[in-house]
Amino acid sequence: MYSRDEIKALTDKVLNMAKADAVEVNFDGGERAATRWANSSITVNMVQYDQQLTLNVRHGQKQGSASTREFDDESLKAMVDEAQDAAQKARDNPNLSPLVRGPQDYIPVDAVMPKTADFGPGERAAWVKQSIDICEKKGVLGAGYIPKNYQTTCLTNSEGLFAYYQVAETGFILTCRMASGGGSGWSGITGAKDLSQVNVAELTEIAANKAVKSQKPRAIEPGRYTTIIEPRPAARLLSTMMGAFNASGNSGGGFGGGGGGGGFNFGGIGRPFVAADGTPKIGQKLFSDSFTLKSDIGNPVLRQTPILNDGQAAKPVTWIEKGVLKNLYYDAATARRQKVAPSPANPNMSLFVEGTNQSIEDMVKTTKRGLLVTFFWYLRPVDTLTLLNTGMTRDGLFLIENGEITGPVQNFRWNMSPLVAFANISAVGKAVPIHTGEAYDGPGTALVPAIRVEDFYMTSVSPAV
Amino acid sequence: MSPTRRDFLKYTGATSLLLASSDLVGDLLAQSPTGNPLTSMFKGLADVVLGEAKKVGCSYADVRFTRSVNSGVNASGGSDRADGAGLFGGGRGGRGGAGRGGGARAGGRPGAAGFGVRVIHSGVWGFASSPIVTEDELRRITRIAAEVAKASAVAKKVDVKLAPVPAYTEYWASPMKKDPATVSTEEKQAYVQKVVDLVAANKNVSNVTASVGITSEWRYFASTEGSYIEQETFEITPSFNVSAKVGDVTKTRSFVGVAKTGGWETAEESEMVESAERIAAEAVEMTTAKPLGMGLKDLVLTPSHAMLTIHEIVAHATELDRILGYEANYAGTSFVKLSDVGKLKYGSKLMNITADRTMPGGMATIGFDDDGVKTMEFPIIKDGILVGLQTNRETAPQIGDKASKGCTSAASWRDYPFLRMPNVRLEAGPKGSPDVAQLIADTKDGVLIDGRGSYSIDQQRYNGQFGGNCFWEIKNGKITRMVTDVTYNAITTDFWANLDAIGSQETWKMFGTGGDAKGQPTQTNSISHGSPYIRIKKIMVGAAYA
Repeated sequence: MYSRDEIKALTDKVLNMAKADAVEVNFDGGERAATRWANSSITVNMVQYDQQLTLNVRHGQKQGSASTREFDDESLKAMVDEAQDAAQKARDNPNLSPLVRGPQDYIPVDAVMPKTADFGPGERAAWVKQSIDICEKKGVLGAGYIPKNYQTTCLTNSEGLFAYYQVAETGFILTCRMASGGGSGWSGITGAKDLSQVNVAELTEIAANKAVKSQKPRAIEPGRYTTIIEPRPAARLLSTMMGAFNASGNSGGGFGGGGGGGGFNFGGIGRPFVAADGTPKIGQKLFSDSFTLKSDIGNPVLRQTPILNDGQAAKPVTWIEKGVLKNLYYDAATARRQKVAPSPANPNMSLFVEGTNQSIEDMVKTTKRGLLVTFFWYLRPVDTLTLLNTGMTRDGLFLIENGEITGPVQNFRWNMSPLVAFANISAVGKAVPIHTGEAYDGPGTALVPAIRVEDFYMTSVSPAV
Repeated sequence: MSPTRRDFLKYTGATSLLLASSDLVGDLLAQSPTGNPLTSMFKGLADVVLGEAKKVGCSYADVRFTRSVNSGVNASGGSDRADGAGLFGGGRGGRGGAGRGGGARAGGRPGAAGFGVRVIHSGVWGFASSPIVTEDELRRITRIAAEVAKASAVAKKVDVKLAPVPAYTEYWASPMKKDPATVSTEEKQAYVQKVVDLVAANKNVSNVTASVGITSEWRYFASTEGSYIEQETFEITPSFNVSAKVGDVTKTRSFVGVAKTGGWETAEESEMVESAERIAAEAVEMTTAKPLGMGLKDLVLTPSHAMLTIHEIVAHATELDRILGYEANYAGTSFVKLSDVGKLKYGSKLMNITADRTMPGGMATIGFDDDGVKTMEFPIIKDGILVGLQTNRETAPQIGDKASKGCTSAASWRDYPFLRMPNVRLEAGPKGSPDVAQLIADTKDGVLIDGRGSYSIDQQRYNGQFGGNCFWEIKNGKITRMVTDVTYNAITTDFWANLDAIGSQETWKMFGTGGDAKGQPTQTNSISHGSPYIRIKKIMVGAAYA
């Protein structure tokens, strides 16, 4: 679907039709499919198709745009006429960025495996069946989500750019609950390019066991705890800090996720990485030695796009190395304004928190008294300057005493800044692919390990299960 | 693409259409007479889907064609002014945003248009959608929906059973006084510019942005139950944000206008202009306001804030699909149990909650839901006791209800329909209930909270932590000072049990929001929540900042 040749022919046709000083054509299309189940029965199984061409034409400093979802000659002509008309009516825009020149030298990424591209509703239902059969044996109810995306994007322009990327990926996200409502457990993987990365049986065992073991939790006092945060909640916590890397200071809106939706949902408008006089704190040690954060373009597990939004080739960037701030993110406009080079990656690309070979069990063994967190829920900023965030634990919270899990405890609301949490890391586990966003829509999977954080602030008990 | 647009229009009977834009659904719509679903171009198209679904053995099918148009005006100003004034696109539903680096558009921008087909085959749902409205594609997508359903049957426990619904042939549109299309762009632009000018006159204002978003959505629904329903909704969203900078401190005050379904009169009645200077002054005052500290306080909540708590810990908790476990993997379940209906003491006797998709101006107000069920008003909490739940055709039979309460919705043609909350309001107190001044005069040690801030709630809607936008301390019946750093903790039933004063009808106001997220993939829904001024006694504030 939407092969390189097919999209080249289509975008070339539009480039030839649109006579202007500069022309840019953007293609976006594909299949988004999903299977949902609850109470161990499929509730939704769906396939969405969409496609769109967007055209920008420039005459001097005037730009007009139009788009179409229909690609016959008549529709293409209508789009071209509409864009030309809009450009004629536009005011001069002195801030138009120059078009990126092609060809660009992209890091090769093979993000489409045929089996994943063809992963259909029957195969998804078979995964569900395999999982609910295990749930039945374990005496739990399964509720889950298998997203499948097969998307093609392409940005071309009159300067010879042809930035084509195609990706097919899936995931498996499962919540198991006791029929009584007295226990809940979670497990999952997202961003899997290879179906073999998804071990349905293993993930189901993990979620089901957590549900069973989380029953009859006791309430313990709120307070500051040594807390082992599994990869999914660690990824959510990470997302609350990523906006702070934006050198422009306009990071409140995030990098392209948002609200409860997909994407990264990067929050924070504080500028903790910039001194009061505006100087970036590059070279300063702000976090634990164990915290290294990169945009690892070309990462063989993530296999994410090697193309920046404007079509430039992305290159790896280290944001934090052993706790030291190494880089801020400069988009093209900010870089021009501040007279520095634009960043060769943005912090929502191929995000990788360096891990170790330590298992969660190893981390538990070396914890005297603490908590094991399966999932964080409903993270929201409380104070945007300090990046203070609040959220809940969910789907399995366990007490650790003298190196052993001694039993389930009632969920907590917490209030914590990621700046403090990532400074207080005392152990790091193995990095695995997991989504950083609240929902699992769209891009947003990062490689994130479990982390152990000292003095994580649990502020009130919630009996919710 | 196999058949060209011209071939397709020939098929649908159009022979003299001027192809003015790349918007096929819009073109077809332009040729369909308004107000009669049976003479619409989409009647024939819907029948293609319903016929194909029957042919491939579906026991039920529906199709929705939708098309949204986004437009609006915005302006900005202040000493750190970032952008000039201009038109903007955006809004929900459409994937196409404004062009890179600017551009211009005259009038409204067509958002996404397309269709979605939902079927039941082998006792299971199947859904598929596409933006390409051609006969081949209608048939192909219907067959895919049926295939998807068939494939799912291996992992079903019971067959989907739908509550019965009458067949309707109806047209419905949001009532409005002033169609936004009849108001010139210049007039709309002047309206937001006036707000900006009034705010920017305050020299401590560093930035102000004002906007009125205008979204219209057309939808055509048909089902194998025999319904053909055409509906048009218009949403107006007025708002402005003011940032003030004093010394090194910058604070932002938000004015949340009353977003409603309706016409341009909604913007004019939003009091944006009338409130501009006050909001600017409050933004400046926020920069020097001091933290309230931690402790038990009586909360006096304005309607623009109370809407948030009503939304999060009443409306979500009483969605039947959550209670049944449908959303366990994402949005969560509910602390409410089925056996609680008629028994659970949700709050004090002053608490009366009503769901209503028929109330004029409500963001979720519409004639028929996306199951083709006629919308209605129904009670959720009466004198503090839980009496009703939100249901749809799929969930109603699971609690023995004979009919759906009309709570199904899909964000666009692309999305599958499922249970979404209707407008949910807290009723004002009876005659003789206090006005705002009386409420404050009667409060010894409290905090007045206006607008929405940070909010976070557990997956069963039982433990919430809420913030607002602006806060004032109340001491001995008087507002003493503006304060900051206020969040409060609410355990749902304890919180509402502490509702000890409820404002009169004159204090009641409805606010709307367009960003309620639920489902996988996530869909956003628009709803309104009305409330009078209310007082909740003895609630812990400030714990988040300890």
